Amino acid sequence: MASTVIGANITIEGEVIADEDVVVQGTVRGKLSAKDGVTVESGAVVEADVSGGPMTLAGQVTGNVTSTDRVELQSGARVVGNVKAARITIADGAHFKGNVDMDV
Amino acid sequence: MASANATTIIGRDTRVRARVTGASDVEVQGHLEGELTVGGEVRVTETATIAADIRARRIVVRGAVRGDLNADEAILLEDGAKVVGDVRAPRVAIAPGGLVKGYVETGHAGEGKRASHSTATRAAPAPVRHAPPAKAHAPAKAHANAKAHANAKAHTNAKPKGRGMTLAGGKAPPPVVPVLKKGTKAALTKRR
Repeated sequence: MASTVIGANITIEGEVIADEDVVVQGTVRGKLSAKDGVTVESGAVVEADVSGGPMTLAGQVTGNVTSTDRVELQSGARVVGNVKAARITIADGAHFKGNVDMDV
Repeated sequence: MASANATTIIGRDTRVRARVTGASDVEVQGHLEGELTVGGEVRVTETATIAADIRARRIVVRGAVRGDLNADEAILLEDGAKVVGDVRAPRVAIAPGGLVKGYVETGHAGEGKRASHSTATRAAPAPVRHAPPAKAHAPAKAHANAKAHANAKAHTNAKPKGRGMTLAGGKAPPPVVPVLKKGTKAALTKRR
C-alpha cells in the first residue's frame, strides 16, 4: 500500500520528502527521499539522488541511490549512479553503471 | 498500487517542494510547496497543506491552500477548505464551512447576464409601487412613469442646464482661467 504515488503523466521538479512509501511511475527531477520503501516502476524516469528504505528499481534512475535496507535492480532497469545499501541485487537484464557500496 | 495507476497521490506524510506538472489527476494529502499545474483534477484533502498556485481542469478543496486557484472547468471549495488566494474558474462553488480570503471570479458570461439583469430590475420596480399583484398594469405604468420621468427629467434637466450653464459660465471660467492667466503673466512679468 503505497502512500505517495507519482503517476505516469506527472513531472515533479524539486524535492520530495516522504515519511512513507513512494511509488514513481512518472518523472522526478531533483531529490527523492523516503523513510520507507521506494519503487521506481518500469517507464518511470528519476533524475535525482534517491534515499530511503527498501528500493525496487525497474525504471530509469540517474543519480546516487542510498538505502538503509536493500536495493533491487530489476530486469529492464537502467541505473547510472552510485548505489549504497546493506544488500544489493541486480537482476539479469538490468543496466547499471556506477559504484556499489555494501557493508563488507 | 494498481488502483492508483492514473492518479498521482502525495501522501499525508510526504513533503514536496517542487514544480509538479502533467496531464493526470493529482490528490494531495500532505504538504506541497511550489507550483501545481496539471490537465486533470486536483483534489486537496483535509490533511493537506499547500503553499502553491494550482492550475487544473477541476479543483476540489477540503484542506488548506495558500496560493491562487485557476481551473478550466470548476472549483469546488468544500467543508474544511481554507483558501488564501484568488479563485478563478467558469464555475466556483463554496460549500458551507469553506473559508476563502481572496478575489473570486467566475465565468465572464455569467457576469454579463448579471449586469443586464440588475439594470432591468432596477429600471422596473422603481416606478411601480404595486408590483406583485398587478403585473399586467406594471409595464404600462412603468412606461407612463418612465415617460413622465423622462419628460420631467428633460424639463428639469433643460432648466438647470440653462441656469447651470450661465451660472457655471458666470462663476467658473472667470475665476479659474483669468486668474491663471493673470497669475502666470504676473509671475512671468515679475520674474522678468
